[in-house]
Amino acid sequence: MKILIPLKQVPDSTVRVKVAPDGTSIVTEGISWSISPYDEYAIEMALERKDADPTTVVAVVTVGAARSRDALRQALAMGCDEASLITADTAAPLAVARALAKVVDETKPDLVLCGKQASDDDQGFVGPALAELLGWAHVATITKVVPVEGGVELWREVEGGHEVWKAPLPALATVHKSEKEPRYPSLPGIMKAKKKEIPEKALSALGIDASGPTWTILSMEPPPVRGGGKILKDGDAKQIAEQLATALRDEAKVL
Amino acid sequence: MTAPTAGLGAWMLLALVLVGFGGFFFRAWQLYRLLLLGRNEDRTDKPARRLRDEIVIYLGQRKLIKRPYWIRGITHALIFWGFLVITYGSADLLLRGILGWQLPGTTSPAYMWILDIFAVAVLVSVAIAMYRRAFLRPPRMHIVREGYVILAMIAFLMLTLLVFESAAIAGVRDPGHIESAAQPPVASVLAYLIPTAAGPVIFAGTWWAHVLTILAFAVYLPRTKHLHIVTTLPNVFFRKQTPRGQLSLIEDIENKETFGAASIRDFSWKQLLDGYTCTECGRCSDNCPALATGKSLDPQKIVLDIRDQLLRDGPKLLADAKAETTPPAHYVESKPEELWACTTCAACVEACPVTIEHIDKIVDMRRHLTLMEGSAPPEAQRAMTNIERAGNPWGEARETRGDWAKDLGVPTFAEKQDAEYLYFVGCAASFDRRNQKVARSVVQVLRAAGVSFAILASEETCNGDPARRIGNEYLWQTQAQQNIETMRKYGVRKVIASCPHCFNTIANEYPQLGGNYEVVHALQLVDRLIVEGKLKVGRGMTEAVAYHDPCYLGRHNGVYDEPRAVLDAIPGVQRVEIEPHNRERGFCCGAGGGRMWMEEKVGQRVNHRRIEQLLAINSGATKVASGCPFCLIMLEEGVGAKGVQEQIKPVDVLELVAARLET
Repeated sequence: MKILIPLKQVPDSTVRVKVAPDGTSIVTEGISWSISPYDEYAIEMALERKDADPTTVVAVVTVGAARSRDALRQALAMGCDEASLITADTAAPLAVARALAKVVDETKPDLVLCGKQASDDDQGFVGPALAELLGWAHVATITKVVPVEGGVELWREVEGGHEVWKAPLPALATVHKSEKEPRYPSLPGIMKAKKKEIPEKALSALGIDASGPTWTILSMEPPPVRGGGKILKDGDAKQIAEQLATALRDEAKVL
Repeated sequence: MTAPTAGLGAWMLLALVLVGFGGFFFRAWQLYRLLLLGRNEDRTDKPARRLRDEIVIYLGQRKLIKRPYWIRGITHALIFWGFLVITYGSADLLLRGILGWQLPGTTSPAYMWILDIFAVAVLVSVAIAMYRRAFLRPPRMHIVREGYVILAMIAFLMLTLLVFESAAIAGVRDPGHIESAAQPPVASVLAYLIPTAAGPVIFAGTWWAHVLTILAFAVYLPRTKHLHIVTTLPNVFFRKQTPRGQLSLIEDIENKETFGAASIRDFSWKQLLDGYTCTECGRCSDNCPALATGKSLDPQKIVLDIRDQLLRDGPKLLADAKAETTPPAHYVESKPEELWACTTCAACVEACPVTIEHIDKIVDMRRHLTLMEGSAPPEAQRAMTNIERAGNPWGEARETRGDWAKDLGVPTFAEKQDAEYLYFVGCAASFDRRNQKVARSVVQVLRAAGVSFAILASEETCNGDPARRIGNEYLWQTQAQQNIETMRKYGVRKVIASCPHCFNTIANEYPQLGGNYEVVHALQLVDRLIVEGKLKVGRGMTEAVAYHDPCYLGRHNGVYDEPRAVLDAIPGVQRVEIEPHNRERGFCCGAGGGRMWMEEKVGQRVNHRRIEQLLAINSGATKVASGCPFCLIMLEEGVGAKGVQEQIKPVDVLELVAARLET
């Protein structure tokens, strides 16, 4: 089985995001980047398949700026077999899905696993859009994939249990979580990934217009600074309870 | 009396000696060849210190005679010193018996006296050792038949020695003559029991019995754990002379293909020699905080696992270099969960009488797990990812590293390039709220003493200690290189660390990558400042304060006295010791070796045991002071879990100083 994972490089979760002076973007100077966490789960899920069946081929692809190469190397270090980069400094979400559809046509994977959403803009658009463009079956937010006769079983977590869907291949699923935490790359893996060739193509070279129907950011601002907590300690239990009730009603306005 | 080997006797003795020593050297040769399976490692630096250790540790038995092992230490030393004295006599005996040669001094009254007294001392010691084995049965000591056989042989050697010495005296006794004072005391008294006529016969009989026992001993010895009598000599000589807190460097890491230890061939010859030297005394196990709290780790077993695998698989590998060993050591014997339970506190290394290096083996095996298999526990992987991406194991934003100091106006090196000291704050004091208070205390104290210092703020990154001890040498090297580069940029020469892990790594391990600085722990500096009169500490409230030794300050770096001196210099503070778990026997808080970042689900939590020890001394201490941010976090958690946070408050010694500064 060949599994393709389209991934996105996003600001690392440890970065304290700052709004740029233009008010519609974030400062990207000097911040650290990593693979979007749900994409990491998708990679782990694919690698768990590869652990079970070594003939599995796991490929990753990304549409993004040149720095996205680092994210691909990280995926290779974790154990993915192939990686390719489609460079575009900016691209509308639909253009990204179209570019990925071209990659799928070319590389013919049996299964495409996307993170359910990227952790930067949280749109959750590209996975379903890609399935739509390809005309493939699509199951969202899965937690497990099991190959079965004639296709795959795709598990979803639901309240109190699981839903199990069966899809013929090829199919596309977006991933909510893998069974294990994404693996830490071995050092030989890191070294091998450093030497691996990553073919690169420009988005325009694929004949895709980077613009397309998209949204416009009107403004961006950091969330209000959270005030410190308050400790009620004057008076006996009854008085404190009264103060608490008053505070919850008048200040927090939750009662 | 001359040796009873007239005529054919000498030839017979020669044949026996050849058989006995042949048996010894044949086995020794086998063991030596097995040792060569290990990887190469140079252990010949600092020859003078090696000789000194040989005298102090091997001859002086320094690591045996220490608390709480006084009795077994002294009895062992007596047997050992007796063995040395008597071996000289035995060599003389054999030479005289075969060639008629005589070693100098062996007939002198002084030597006879020493021999005589040691024979009795050894007999008494053997009796005590037998009694301990049979009736006291010290926990975790491997009590096997071998031990009794050896003790019995030693006892028999002493008895035969005393009897043939007495018989010799009896055989030449002149009834009218008063015994000369030059004669050995015990033998000359025993001689009264032996009729003069029977003297020569008894002499010859016991002489031969003695010689045969010596030769049997030579054959038996290298086939048992008592081989340590021989191997301790090289094991002490080749012990690590680099700082205890320094792990080995993997050189040229980017071009290596395998890392760490997964089979006996991956250990160095010295690590294999450790296995031959282990006497199975169990002192390491006795002191291990992981074992004490119910984890599967047993440091003694780690050493013996390696030895057993060497003896089992080694001969096959010698015969066929390409032969496969049975699965890597940690699969069949030392299991990953044992290796991950280690806090690298060095209690085992400190306790070992024969200088076995346990931590290095454990970390080498961890290196294989982490670097080759990527199989460190998931929480440890999270910590490593955080260090990689954010420069701290908590995963806090890198650019907020200096935020704790903003309202204090502490200068960064970028702002104050001529600062004398770098205060290397460390991740804990930068990001952990409780420890930020300690960092603020450090600033107050340094300012009060007029010390010129600056910090690196967001330019500082984790020193790498947890990564290195989890086995991720690569991450440690990248972190260390980053810090070294930053320090080079600002020309940093002197470093203050308030975290013993930062202190240990920068002082002992950064030199491996070319980073050489004068590094002090904040408490060492404060001690000096108080002594020099640059820091005045006034009277605060009167209180008893227990001192908890951080492993990376105490055992790893020998800093026991300065923190105590600082406490003693604070008027009103009465220092309390957490006896007997203090100083070199200090009990780990459970956070070292990357354990801070791993879950602890098996057995009791190490920090909870520490709090129990603290409560057990019943000292009335209202505070427990330490000099390590991780100890502080663990102690805080411990008093909370035990519900004694109102009784005893964990603090850093620096906080006590800062609270009483006189301006």
